Amino acid sequence: MTTLASKTKTVSMVRSKKGLRSKSEILLRNLVVIGLLAYFTIFLIIPIIIAFVGSFNQWNPLKGEFNYIGLENYLTMFSSGLFWKSIANTFIFSAIVIIFRVALGLGIALAIYSKFVKNKTFFRTIFYMPVVTPLVAVAYVWTFMYNPQIGLVNSTLGMDINWLFDAKYALGSVMMMTIWKDFGYAVVLYIAGLCSLPRDCFEASSIDGANGWQTFCHITLPLLKPTTLFVVVTSLISYLQTYVPIMVMTQGGPGTETYLSSYIIFEEAFVKYNFGYASAMSFVLFILIGLLTMLSFKITNSES
Amino acid sequence: MSLNVKKVLLYSTVFLGGVSTLIGCSNGSGNSTTVIEPNSGLEVLGDTIKYDPNKLVNNGEPIELEFYVWDDSAIKEIVESYEALYPNVDIKMVVNPWDDYWTKLPLALSGNDGPALFNVHNSHHENIINYMAPYDIPLEDLTADFLGVEPHVIDGEVYYTDYGMMTGVIFYNKDLWANAGLTDNDIPTTWDEFTKVAEKLTIKDGDKITQAGFNMNGDFGNLLSGMPYQLGQTLFDESGTKATVSTDKNVEVAQYFHDLYKEAGVGSGDFGTKAEESFGQGQSAMVYKWGHYNNTLLDKYPDINYGVFEVPTFTEEPFAYDRYNGESTFGINKNADEKEQAVAQDFIRYFLANDDLQKDLCLALSVFPNKYSLAKDDDIKAHPIMSVLTDHINRYIWPGTMPATIENTLKQVAENIIYNGMDIQAALEDGEKTMNADLSKVDFVSSEAKYEYTE
Repeated sequence: MTTLASKTKTVSMVRSKKGLRSKSEILLRNLVVIGLLAYFTIFLIIPIIIAFVGSFNQWNPLKGEFNYIGLENYLTMFSSGLFWKSIANTFIFSAIVIIFRVALGLGIALAIYSKFVKNKTFFRTIFYMPVVTPLVAVAYVWTFMYNPQIGLVNSTLGMDINWLFDAKYALGSVMMMTIWKDFGYAVVLYIAGLCSLPRDCFEASSIDGANGWQTFCHITLPLLKPTTLFVVVTSLISYLQTYVPIMVMTQGGPGTETYLSSYIIFEEAFVKYNFGYASAMSFVLFILIGLLTMLSFKITNSES
Repeated sequence: MSLNVKKVLLYSTVFLGGVSTLIGCSNGSGNSTTVIEPNSGLEVLGDTIKYDPNKLVNNGEPIELEFYVWDDSAIKEIVESYEALYPNVDIKMVVNPWDDYWTKLPLALSGNDGPALFNVHNSHHENIINYMAPYDIPLEDLTADFLGVEPHVIDGEVYYTDYGMMTGVIFYNKDLWANAGLTDNDIPTTWDEFTKVAEKLTIKDGDKITQAGFNMNGDFGNLLSGMPYQLGQTLFDESGTKATVSTDKNVEVAQYFHDLYKEAGVGSGDFGTKAEESFGQGQSAMVYKWGHYNNTLLDKYPDINYGVFEVPTFTEEPFAYDRYNGESTFGINKNADEKEQAVAQDFIRYFLANDDLQKDLCLALSVFPNKYSLAKDDDIKAHPIMSVLTDHINRYIWPGTMPATIENTLKQVAENIIYNGMDIQAALEDGEKTMNADLSKVDFVSSEAKYEYTE
């Protein structure tokens, strides 16, 4: 035993020393690391720094304007009713869509994973298809479906609602489309999570006489916590930046009822060319996403 | 370094060298031994702005120019015509969709390899004007040939002007009009008459509209910006820097259109949520649209039998019938190579002096020509849009190169009134506040003071 361990250690050291001695490997490693560093510096870090500096300026890069105005952009933002309205809309949108995404994703994953369901690959594909469909195309199709005269939604439900132009329904209608498009992502992740759960826990609970609901609540759900955390955090990051469906379906309307924070940033930067103000809002959103992500990790870790 | 790496580097160097050589050889402004003779015997074009094509351009040497456009369909004819005149000139049209165009163009112009020529839209004036070269044409020649040059003069120079103007008109479905027992004699000239006609064109099943007499969904914002002019209410205050959209006259106009839906019931925000589609599908009998809608109907809804009439008015002699926006002539990049700029200047003069090309362009885009010599042209007068504008063409006002916030905010105001049930005065005041906050960040002065009938 000692001899075997000793031999393994010797081989490992030789490999390690050989690795360190190999110029080509060192060159490759350095090239890859430098390449990645350069990539992130040029396309991420420098733009973030420029945007941060820009948030203290009256900034329109298209006409070369860059005038220092101190905290004015931040003061304007914090006193803007539309900014806070968009933040509130963003949180409502994110919270509801994430809850449905997790609940539907988990529910359907459990159904597909169940021994009673055949053709699992078929169902997995069906539920995942909307996820890989281009968002703009889906948003256009749903806009058509919501048409009050000829849309599928009203004709199927026998209703007479102007879904995208009624302040009571507009944001909810966009949420509905987003949930439909995105829950397949959670389905696939939860199926993968379910497949990796240790079978002995379920056998033990079965021997102890736990029923299906008890097994789900006390074994399946806790063991799926890392998957749930992943789904929630990635969804949160994604939904706090939502603007494509708003741009296609409502353009923030009726009035400003469906303004989300990313949509207002888009409008300030690329419609009004007010890049300084847009950068200030982007930084607040960046900090909010960071704080919420940290909070999600902290809650999960403390429960663990 | 291993042998393989050396080989790769060697081959790469040889390849790059070869590519560089080829690029060097293909330089459009390089020397050529081909001799091009000057044109001769061709007619000199133009009224005041003259263009004599009996000459060489760039001394007959080959030259290549880039021309940025967001749509090349109508402009292609002008470029091809110029290239046919001067075979040594190669104008490459680079098409970028509208949204991309306005980020790519200013960035390209700020560098040294931007396009020599480019399409201009006055709504983006602020972002491109610093990169533009003035036209090498005397101001008095421009004003002698073209209407509406004055608002475009900056320190005695013109960087672009309008070859045509577009404004709002009422499109009506002739078949639905006839079904309601209406004739050409019923075409309304006042808004009161308009209401009555719209009522006749509205069909309901109980309380539910099945055919709207008038649909302004998506266009109410434009009505809010244009119709107050009829009552003498300008969009901006006397300084030209602040929006004034919440006066009694603005409220009066907004109230009229609000009541068309809510009181007269000739349409609804919930019926045909996009007026252009609803009219195209024969669900709505009348819509207020700008001239470009003529092309939309021809392209997308060729089966609709439609007519056009001028916007009705609140008073017999309105201060202005509506606002208009100019379709701009092309821009020249002041950072472009000197030879390219010279050809670009020649191209602009050729275009401005050429009535045929301008007429074709105006007809293709359904815009009323600003060139005086075309105002009475038979083809122009026969065009459905232009025919209704001819009589009062000087009674349309241009507010200037308005920042996007004006139209965007008025669209929100319109939705707040129609869909969110907001009080009209409050909605207009809220919009005015937003506009003025945005206007305070840009250098904008309205051109309303330059309107002929402004006191």
